[in-house]
Amino acid sequence: MKLKLFGAVSAAALVIAGAAFAEYPEKEIQGIIQWGAGGSTDAVMRAVTPHAEEVLGGKVVMQNMTGGVGAIAAKFTMTQKADGYTLLMGAENPMLYKVMGLGNFDYNSDFEPVALLARGVPILVARPDAPYNTFKELVDYMAANPEEVKFGSTGPGGLPSVVTAMLDAEVDISATFVPYDGDGPALTALQGGAIDVMPAVLGAALEAIKAERIKVIALVDSTPNEALPGIPPITEDFPGYGKYLPWGPFFGVFVKAGTPDDVVAKLSAAYLEGAQATDFVELLHNRAYLPINLSGAEAKDYMAKWQSVTSWLVYDAGIAKKSPEDFDIPRP
Amino acid sequence: MHDPNRRLPGERIFSVLMVAVSLFLFYTATQISGLSGLAEPGSFPMFATGMMVITSTIITFKTLRLPHSDVHGWKSVFPGLVILTIILMGFYALALQPVGFLPTSFVFLTIANWVMARGNPLRAALTSALSLVLVYVVFRLVFSVLMPEGIVPEREILAYIGSILNGGVK
Amino acid sequence: MDFTHFFMTWIDLRLLALVGAGTFAGIYIGAIPGLSVTMAVSILISFTFGWEMYDALALMIGIYMGGVYGGSRTAILLNIPGAPSAIATALDGYPLAKKGLAGEAIGLSTTMSALGGLIGIAVLGFAAPAVSEFAIRFQPRDYMLLAILGILLVGSLSGESLIKGVFAGALGLTIGCVGLDPLTAQERFTFGYIELWGGISFVAVMIGLFGVSEALMQLKHINTPALKQKITRVIPSWKSVLKFLPLSVQTSLIGVIIGALPGTGGDIAALMSYDHAKRVTKNPEVPFGQGARAGLVAPETANNAAVGGAFIPMLTLGIPGDSVTAIIIGAMFIHGLNPGPMLMIERPEMFWFILGALVLATVFMLIFGLTGIRIFVKVVELPRAMLFPLILLLSIIGAFAVNNALTDVYWMLGFGVLGYFMKLYGYQLGPVILGVILSRLIDDNWRRAIISEREDLGRLFHGIFTSPLSLVLFMAVVAIFFTSTPLWPMLKNKLRKAAAKKDA
Repeated sequence: MKLKLFGAVSAAALVIAGAAFAEYPEKEIQGIIQWGAGGSTDAVMRAVTPHAEEVLGGKVVMQNMTGGVGAIAAKFTMTQKADGYTLLMGAENPMLYKVMGLGNFDYNSDFEPVALLARGVPILVARPDAPYNTFKELVDYMAANPEEVKFGSTGPGGLPSVVTAMLDAEVDISATFVPYDGDGPALTALQGGAIDVMPAVLGAALEAIKAERIKVIALVDSTPNEALPGIPPITEDFPGYGKYLPWGPFFGVFVKAGTPDDVVAKLSAAYLEGAQATDFVELLHNRAYLPINLSGAEAKDYMAKWQSVTSWLVYDAGIAKKSPEDFDIPRP
Repeated sequence: MHDPNRRLPGERIFSVLMVAVSLFLFYTATQISGLSGLAEPGSFPMFATGMMVITSTIITFKTLRLPHSDVHGWKSVFPGLVILTIILMGFYALALQPVGFLPTSFVFLTIANWVMARGNPLRAALTSALSLVLVYVVFRLVFSVLMPEGIVPEREILAYIGSILNGGVK
Repeated sequence: MDFTHFFMTWIDLRLLALVGAGTFAGIYIGAIPGLSVTMAVSILISFTFGWEMYDALALMIGIYMGGVYGGSRTAILLNIPGAPSAIATALDGYPLAKKGLAGEAIGLSTTMSALGGLIGIAVLGFAAPAVSEFAIRFQPRDYMLLAILGILLVGSLSGESLIKGVFAGALGLTIGCVGLDPLTAQERFTFGYIELWGGISFVAVMIGLFGVSEALMQLKHINTPALKQKITRVIPSWKSVLKFLPLSVQTSLIGVIIGALPGTGGDIAALMSYDHAKRVTKNPEVPFGQGARAGLVAPETANNAAVGGAFIPMLTLGIPGDSVTAIIIGAMFIHGLNPGPMLMIERPEMFWFILGALVLATVFMLIFGLTGIRIFVKVVELPRAMLFPLILLLSIIGAFAVNNALTDVYWMLGFGVLGYFMKLYGYQLGPVILGVILSRLIDDNWRRAIISEREDLGRLFHGIFTSPLSLVLFMAVVAIFFTSTPLWPMLKNKLRKAAAKKDA
């Protein structure tokens, strides 16, 4: 049967919508993935969407549109009609555009959340032979050897910069920051010894941690994580971080603001139900992402809190271009 | 083939233009992060554009000294067909977004085929339609490349065909 | 036994058919300039979502292997590389086709691609852990030196004028800088346009320079009838295979190593191998660039060997060797596997399965490659008036498909016209694309290397001279720099004169 997907039949198979006519969705939906093929956003979206399609009774054609820290895809979605036929499948980045000077829009002001699906857990990892095993030891080491530790980073506004800003808000981080163009290449460099320490999202580092090619220095969360047995949350030694946590990058599906409520509701129901599928839950579990499963006002509140914490962190760290005050983002 | 010891029509203008472009890009590169530091975002662009300025200047001086080529006229360097094709592609690119992929491509293919073959316009239209169908099936249907739809409501048509294949319009 | 999974794709008819279908499709996807393997594989992820893992992998591996090879087809027949890794193939492949020897050229490239593919797979099978430990130890300064080594290829790609080649290379480096700086998010050459933040797509530049400008160039000869191709000697003789065996082993090893390095792939491997062939082949039957067979053998073995290479860090460490393996890693996650250092321990059968499928895909590539030549060669004999508009249309769609953006189409057209003028006035286009490919590799790693040493040049050189790997790369850079610039003959002359004086 599967072989039939080739050739002419595949053409027909792809366009069969199977839905009742003249009712949303009455044609193919375009899904714009904000990040490149093979990345975490891509994997999450391509895994959940087939399940959502089943509930929705329609076809979602996904395509990657990268560039401009995700701004190109977001801007494209904003130029399309607010009819629910263009979905933005993105990560947290647009919530920082305003303060980073990358654009005058975000998910809450210009989009309608369909579903917030999952969030990642930030951790601090180091090469296995580094002379420190806990965050406390690292802080002491940095105090004794200023600027000697090589910290991996991925440019202002990226996860490592935010985590570093958060850590720096409570203790003194004196290190040399070596920039990489993504957490994948940086984690590779960590295993090769080109850098010493790297803030990363747990899912991306998990397999290398299990194989003991890198070690966890800190779990930047307020609760222990079952994927990291025996690693206490950072708040145990440094309760000061409690006010920022839990914090993490998130993935969600969005439509342009102004999309009819019943369409958004139908999409939300489809994606939230699709996210319950066993293999999707398992995928999140394997990659150590925590399910969020929020929609509507709850999703907006979640993102507003995220934006307030993060914007002020990057602003206070001096890497933001504009003050959150300019956009009425309250200090947490 | 290009003869390195002769100067073609337009070669002087092209060389000078390249110097101008290089200078402009070099200036832009100096504005990225200024002249400070070895590891600034602007350091490498300044190096690359600097190389462009140096080499394009040398090329221009060399070109100016070359004797004029007597074999080639303007016409053999830029035949009408090449100019026409470039103009045609320019129009294609401009019309692609507002008018949509299918009609623009059809017109483009037909005119290009007709002009190049100097043949029957009807035949040109037919070959174009055929190749366009092939391209559409491969790119749009199999590979899901969503070209601009423009004035043709493609997704509605596809959904309609889909619903017929799926057991008639409900 | 985990090893039995090696033969899984060979015995199971459905898997056999999937690998075969994938390879077949891959050859055509690779041959069409607008379709890329990366794109095909990423679409397959959602396509094969409900499938068994083995089925999906079999298909992807077939497409990957076939696609890398398929790019050589259009490079030889039309001088339009179907994929970046076939750029070097066109340099000597197309001159062969112009002599009516397209059949022989394709036959040779097919056989050599298969040979390179097998060598790559053999290294993957026998030495994966060692190679990946080696590859991962590459420091930023090593990547930088490797990229500088790459940019020095301008010397052998420049054709008649070295200075024009250097200009073209610098232009390429500049194009590669456009967009938000990946390290600091600073805008570079964006002139305030958000569309330029993502940079100018390298594929769009390639399609413009090689597809559109070539079509425009050939429009001048629209009325000369297409050359009838002789389709004899499609399968190369043992003698010629043996003759190129030493070279192809060397270039395959270049291919595997470059393929195994995260961040470099078949395109760089093919260009570097081409340069290597030019250096080691003492007496080619005709000069390189005019249809030297060694110039065809080198890139074709290297780019297929790079496939095996790219799987090395992926299977041993879960680190992608190139963009296609990055997507395959994503697909494995979706199918419930956890690619990473533990994969070889927890699921060793996956390793053998992939190895077996790769070998099978190589066999299919050889079969489909050698049997389809007659039909394929007919492409060149198509009426020009039908072929050119279609090439132009495919170029436009291809540029659009890279990132679903019209901006890339405009760039593609712009570079098509620029490429036409550059060709007309004796600039080679190879260095431009070389510059675009290597720009970020040099820039990013230079900055990483110097920042790691706290912006101290002395410490950087100390690092280079105390690491054996860096030192070897550094020596290679120095040696190639002197031999490819006029400095070397000048120095040699001086030495000779000095020696003569001494004798006198």
